[in-house]
Parts: sequence; C-alpha cells; structure tokens
Amino acid sequence: MSGRPARFNGYAPIRDYAAIGDGRTVALIARDGSIDWLCLPDLDSPSVLGALIDAERGGRFVLEPEVPYEASRRYLPETNVLETTFATSTGHVRVTDAMTLPAGELSPYRELVRRVEGVTGTVPLRWRLDPHFGYSGGKTRIEQRAGIPVAVSGRDALALCSWEAGEPEYGKQTITSRFSVGEGGSSLFVLTAAHQEPLVLPTRTDAEARLRSTAGAWREWAAAREYGGPWQEAVIRSALALKLLVFAPSGAIAAAATTSLPEQIGGERNWDYRFSWPRDAAFTLQALLALGCAPEARAFFSWILHASQLTHPRLQVLYRLDGRAEADERSLPFAGYRGSLPVRVGNGAADQTQLDVYGEVLEAASHFASSTGGLDRDHGRRLAELADFVCESWEQPDAGIWETRSEPAHFIQSKMMCVVALGRACELAERGLLPVKNSQRWRRERERVREFVETRGYSERTRSYVRSVDEEEVDASLLLAVLAGYDDPRAPRLLATVDAVRRELARGPLIHRFLGDDGLPGEDGAFLACSFWLVEAYARQGRLDEAAALMDELVPLANDVGLFAEEIDPATGEFLGNFPQGLSHLGLINAAVSIEEAGT
Amino acid sequence: MIWGALVGGLAGTLVLTTLLRAASEFGLTRMDLPFLLGTAVTADRVRAKAIGYALHFGFGLLFALGYYAIFLVIDRSGFLLGAFFGLVHAIFAGSALVNILLPVVHPRMGTGFTAAGSAPLLEPPGFLLLNYGRQTPLATIIAHIAYGAIVGGFVSLAN
Repeated sequence: MSGRPARFNGYAPIRDYAAIGDGRTVALIARDGSIDWLCLPDLDSPSVLGALIDAERGGRFVLEPEVPYEASRRYLPETNVLETTFATSTGHVRVTDAMTLPAGELSPYRELVRRVEGVTGTVPLRWRLDPHFGYSGGKTRIEQRAGIPVAVSGRDALALCSWEAGEPEYGKQTITSRFSVGEGGSSLFVLTAAHQEPLVLPTRTDAEARLRSTAGAWREWAAAREYGGPWQEAVIRSALALKLLVFAPSGAIAAAATTSLPEQIGGERNWDYRFSWPRDAAFTLQALLALGCAPEARAFFSWILHASQLTHPRLQVLYRLDGRAEADERSLPFAGYRGSLPVRVGNGAADQTQLDVYGEVLEAASHFASSTGGLDRDHGRRLAELADFVCESWEQPDAGIWETRSEPAHFIQSKMMCVVALGRACELAERGLLPVKNSQRWRRERERVREFVETRGYSERTRSYVRSVDEEEVDASLLLAVLAGYDDPRAPRLLATVDAVRRELARGPLIHRFLGDDGLPGEDGAFLACSFWLVEAYARQGRLDEAAALMDELVPLANDVGLFAEEIDPATGEFLGNFPQGLSHLGLINAAVSIEEAGT
Repeated sequence: MIWGALVGGLAGTLVLTTLLRAASEFGLTRMDLPFLLGTAVTADRVRAKAIGYALHFGFGLLFALGYYAIFLVIDRSGFLLGAFFGLVHAIFAGSALVNILLPVVHPRMGTGFTAAGSAPLLEPPGFLLLNYGRQTPLATIIAHIAYGAIVGGFVSLAN
C-alpha cells in the first residue's frame, strides 16, 4: 500500500472531492475519508467543517484506516450516496456516506450518516471530529448529552452519535477515537445538526433505515430522467450533481457548493458561488426540461421571477438561495485553499450591470412557455417590462458575462443577448403570452442592437465576432450566440466565430474564456462550461462528428466519481475553481442532449 | 374579570413566543417551545410546529386562568404583581416543568430512565434549560416576566 492520498500542506486536490447532500446543504468528502466542507444548516450558511479553505482552523471530520491504504470510490449507482473502499494490508473496509432525506420517525434537522462495513480481514480505523462553527469565528463548546458528544455554538448544535466506533475521547475542540472493524462487522456514525431547536438524537435503526430510503429516493429520481444517448452515465451523474445544488426550500439552484476555491492556485480569483445566477436560467431550464425534470424547472423559473421582484425591472446578477438580494462581499480570516487569498463570502458581482442576463431570462421564459404551454398573466407583464428595460439600457456599457472587475465596456456578447431578449419578447407577444403594446418598440430596438453588433462587433481580420468594441479579441462567451439563437446557427459569421474560438482559445479539448485582461492579476484555467458550449455549438451547426469527438475527449476529464469543477488547468489537468460546478454539469447535459437531438 | 385574563393570556403568549423567537434569531437560545410541545404528539416536523403553536397558546390561556385565580384569592392584581408571577412561573418552568416533567411525559425525550434506543430522542433541556444555550434562562425569564405583566395588566384593566 502506498499510504494515504496526497495532500499539499493539508489540502487535498480539488479533484479528490466527492459531494453528498440533501437538497439543503452539501458536504465534500476527500479520497482519504475526511469531510472537509459542510455548511449548516444550509448551503450558504457559515461553515462548520471548513478545512477545504483552511486546513488548520477550518474543521473536519476525519475517518480513515490507521495503517497505509489505497482508496477507491464510487457513487452507489444512480444515487448521491458515496461509497469509499479502503484497501489495507490487514483487510478491506467500506465506508458509505450520505446526507439523509427525512423519512419515518422524527428526523434530525440535518443528518449525515457514515456507515463502516468490514469486507475482509480486520482494519484499525481512527476518527476525529473537529467542528468550528461560523467559519471558525463562533465559540464552540464541546459537551455531552447522555454520553453523546455535542458541539454547541449559539443557535447551532451538532451531535455525533456512534455505534461500535470506540469510546469518544474529548479534547478542547475535538472528539476522537479509534476502533477496528472485522469482516462482516459494521459501525455507524450519525452527525446530526440542529438550528434554533433542540437536537434530535436518532436511533441506529432509524438512521440506517433513512440511509436505505435515501439511496432509494435518489435511484427513483434518477430512473425518471429521460436521456438514452451514448453519454448516459455522465448525463445522469451530472443531473444528480445538479440536483445536489438545487436548494429545495426555494427552488433556487446554487452555482456551486463552495466558496473561494481558486481559479489559480495562490491567486485571488476566489469567489463565493453559493448564490443563484439568473443568467444560468436558460441553460438550466433547457437541461431540466430535456431530462424530464418539469417540477424542478417550474420551481426555478418561479424562483427567478419571485427573487427579482424587489429589484424589478432590473435583474440583479445573483440572488441568495432564499431569494434575498443582499450579497455583501467580505473576506474571512482563513488561510485559503493552498494559500489562495482572499477567502470571500458574499459576492460583489451582485451590484454589477450585466445586460446579457435579460436575454438568458427571456430565453428561459420561451423554453418554459413552450414546454408548459403558457405563462401566467403576471409573469407575462413582468417579462414585458424586462424587455422595455432592455430597450432603455442596451446602449450602456456593462461588466459582461465574466463579471470582470475592470471598467465597464461594450461587450458584444451582452449586446447579442439583448437581441435575443427582444426577439424572445416579440415571439412571446405574438403567441399572446406577453402584452403587445410595446412589441413594435422591441422589434425596432432589436434591429438597432443587431446593427450595432454587426457593424462594431465583428472583425474581418480575425473573422470572428469580438469580445468588445474597439478590440479584436475572441471570447468563448460568443458561442452563446449560437446556443441562444442570436441568428441562424449556420450563418457565415457564426460559423467563422466558432472556428475562431477553437483556433484562438483551445488548449487540447479545453477552452479558455478569453486571453486578455479581466482587471485582476494572474491567470485562470480553461473554463469547462465553454468547452461544452463548443460541443453544443457544433451540434447546432450540424457538425456532429466534431461535436461527438470533442465530447468524447471532455467527458473522461471528470474526476473518479464523475464530477467537474469550474475549470481545469490544461497543463496539469488539475481542477480549479468552485466545486462541484453547476454550469459545467449543465453544459455537459445540454451538449449531450443537443447532439442527440441534432442526430435524430 | 375572566375575559381580561383570557385576553391577557392570548396577548402575553404572543409576546412570550415572539421574545423567545427573537432570542433564538439572535443566537441566544435553541429553545423552541412549539417544536418541543408538538413533537410530543407527532413525529412529522411540519405538523409538530402547527400543533405545538396551538398547544402553546392553549397552555398560555390556562396559565392566565391560574394567575387569575390567584389574583382573585389575594384580591389584588396589576402588571407588577403579574410580572412577579411571571418570574416565579419562569423559574418553575426551567427547574421543574420543562426540565423534569416534560421529559417524563414526552415520548421522544430522554430521561435518566431511558434505555438503549427504541425511539429517536430529542435533546433534553437540562437544568434551567441550559442545554439549549447559556442565555436560555435569561431569555425565558424575561419572556415570562413580560407574559405575567401583560396578564396582570389586562386583569387589572378589566376589573
């Protein structure tokens, strides 16, 4: 055995993480069995286990063999239940991890179950729970309730119930023990959390029953997904990953489960992605509807229109998962993933102007109306007001889809999405789903924006639409013009732009967003969603061989359990950015579905 | 007048519930009386909260009638006397009622007699409800003093 999986100064590679969740929060588990990320009670709450972004002070729940081992992992088929097998020289042991869904007797507010089973021989294991509430800023007291270790901090409490797992030993901030599991034996840990209420301390029988029913619920959900193409396993895994990011209480979809995993190791592009971006609406609706997730699609669309009520007709770039608009950005006194500072919570991009969002939301409305047969009158009125707002705003510079923190500019992709916004508004009005009184104005302004794009946003020299006016740089976001229907996908300028993106921005199968300045020092990796957008653009242009070939190269780049981060370093293959990343998985689903649709 | 006690009981319970909820929101306590009461009846979390609120207001009215009976016996009432009753009520609630009696009658709360698990257990409150946070006694006492003052005040006004 070669020993435990590699860590760099206590930090596991991002690729080494797997995610489990319950529709309210997500935990990340490294290959060595350590839970390094868990926010409670919700995904956007402060971390209790935060070793992911501070290996010393963040807190973790370690569970691993005491002897050298090799670890292999998988999700139980079609579930978000993780199974890690540790192979040691003395035997094999299997750990099953899940956040359970409520069922049966009184369920804990949040519950994470870890079941240990002896497969062969006898394996000595050790565990250590080191909770640090409130991003390590909350005072944590370790106490006991009827012999059960409890960690308490203000409104929050955590209990660790365990069976056949050794006698807990109490440190000032930690609870530890060691135990052995023989062939056929089993142990159980239940981490139960309470928020503003007493803890529920479950029985072993109930917790194990919930573990089984949780696996069953995931299987049932996955079995109802509608995709039968060649990348089925990857598509279903992506759907399950996406489902982990759906915040069930509101229907919002988080962009990712983490904050401040860096886009460059040691760099400062570290953002909090535990918010929901209306921009992702069209991709999300398209993916959810294609896979037969109509309830989730309906919930997300309603959430967007609900969340944006307070800022209407301006669409904020992002909203909190509960629909609130505040997202004040601040830095935490954390060490940062492998020294990547600052560690941010909140997201300052919320206040930016990004004109493309309106196109995405109206495109989503069009998808939604087509699949459900209509829009209610109030939604129609508000969407019409968004189109009016686009008419008044499109001539302004904006921060663009990549949320650059440099000066606002006239980004061509933003203008293209204004064309899409006004085009969709006109179509919906023609179908009687939006009020028609301003539709002439929408049509007139759409042609003005299109003229702007065609005269100032295309370079004959590079044979491509450009990133922004007065520069000739190519930008991968221009692929969205094909995906969103800015023009006929096979229009000569779009065909040339897709080629230019591949030519200028590709490193193997991976596509960079752009190569120029974004207002911050350093560089980032290749953006996975862009690579999948290129696949989808090929498919929509009828270039199916190129699409399938690129897809075949991209899908194996997932980690061992099928998950993607935001970016990949083309030189090393290392994952970068927040994880798991919804947009990467949305891109994969939509690319696979587009190839399937174009081929039929 | 008994209507004064009932109206006072309703208003007092409303204020008590709001104060305890505010204390919870400010991170002073994890005490959740409707949840504790409701889970004695059902394991369903949503129903437990609804039933718990109904029971809580019912008990609020009953205690107000108790206060009223004592006011009648001693032939005095008023918000200050009510506040004193509230203080005694809070100490009784923290030391005996919720700490000792509730775990005995609550089917999902552990006591010293509970053997290895046949049912999930709610975290017991402990002496003066300290298990739910070190500021819980303070929050409980202030909320009950407010309750008592309101009941006493309404009874006094109605006389």
